[in-house]
Amino acid sequence: MTQAVDAINLNTVNRYPPGDLAIWIFILAELSVFAAFFGAYAFTRMNNVALFNEFQLHLDREAALINTLALITSSYFVVRAVAAIKDGHHLICSRWLVAAMGMGAVFLVVKVGEYAHHFGQGINLSTNTFYMFYLSLTVFHFMHVIMGMVILAAVAIKAKKGGYNATEHTGVETGASYWHMVDLVWLILFPLVYVMR
Amino acid sequence: MSKKTFLGMRPCTWVFVLLVTLTFVTFYIGEQQMGGLTIALFVLGIAMIKGHLVGAYFMGLGGLRGLWRWPVSVWLIIPGSLITTAFILAR
Repeated sequence: MTQAVDAINLNTVNRYPPGDLAIWIFILAELSVFAAFFGAYAFTRMNNVALFNEFQLHLDREAALINTLALITSSYFVVRAVAAIKDGHHLICSRWLVAAMGMGAVFLVVKVGEYAHHFGQGINLSTNTFYMFYLSLTVFHFMHVIMGMVILAAVAIKAKKGGYNATEHTGVETGASYWHMVDLVWLILFPLVYVMR
Repeated sequence: MSKKTFLGMRPCTWVFVLLVTLTFVTFYIGEQQMGGLTIALFVLGIAMIKGHLVGAYFMGLGGLRGLWRWPVSVWLIIPGSLITTAFILAR
């Protein structure tokens, strides 16, 4: 019997991604939408190279750098939070998650600053094709960052209350997976919109 | 996440350092306003590597067996191919 159980465990361990399987279906759906968005950007640029190259220079690359570093750092903090809960340290897990949310907040503040600058110059979705894509893509991603922070907050609160432990921490892994997806999308968005020309 | 360390750092910390380094490379290219197909594809390649690292080490897919090991890698290929095609056709 024990051998049979071990065999089952051997076949199931490391076969499925961390967290709830449903979040992965959701993540794949979200990634598909962003892939379509990226493709649309690239193929529209194909017929408007001069326009895209000109207005790309008007973007704040330093702000984008800060935002990229903020998201990478927050993702790293989330990895540490998952490691902490696997070791049974629910308070440490909660603190790493709060730190990750802090970096998420940095992203939101910097992005709002960028938007304020653009809107202050009268730039909107109708200004030109480049800004239509820039604003649509980044605002869509911005909404995902907010959503991710709400998820991280819920997980952090539950972790602080001892709702997760070394053996039951699916919720932490589920939230972490969503947050990494938000980071992953930005890692493509940043070079595509701010750098590639 | 593996607790094995290399030079005293966990694998995820090494990946974090690599991600930050590659981000600065991308930023430098942007600041120099380097353009052209080769540079664009180089920058895209860096983004693909970064995406793969996040999927494998941060999301934890690198240690899986079977189909669930590949969704992020496959996803990276889709926008990567679309962007590459569009940039080649834009020449």
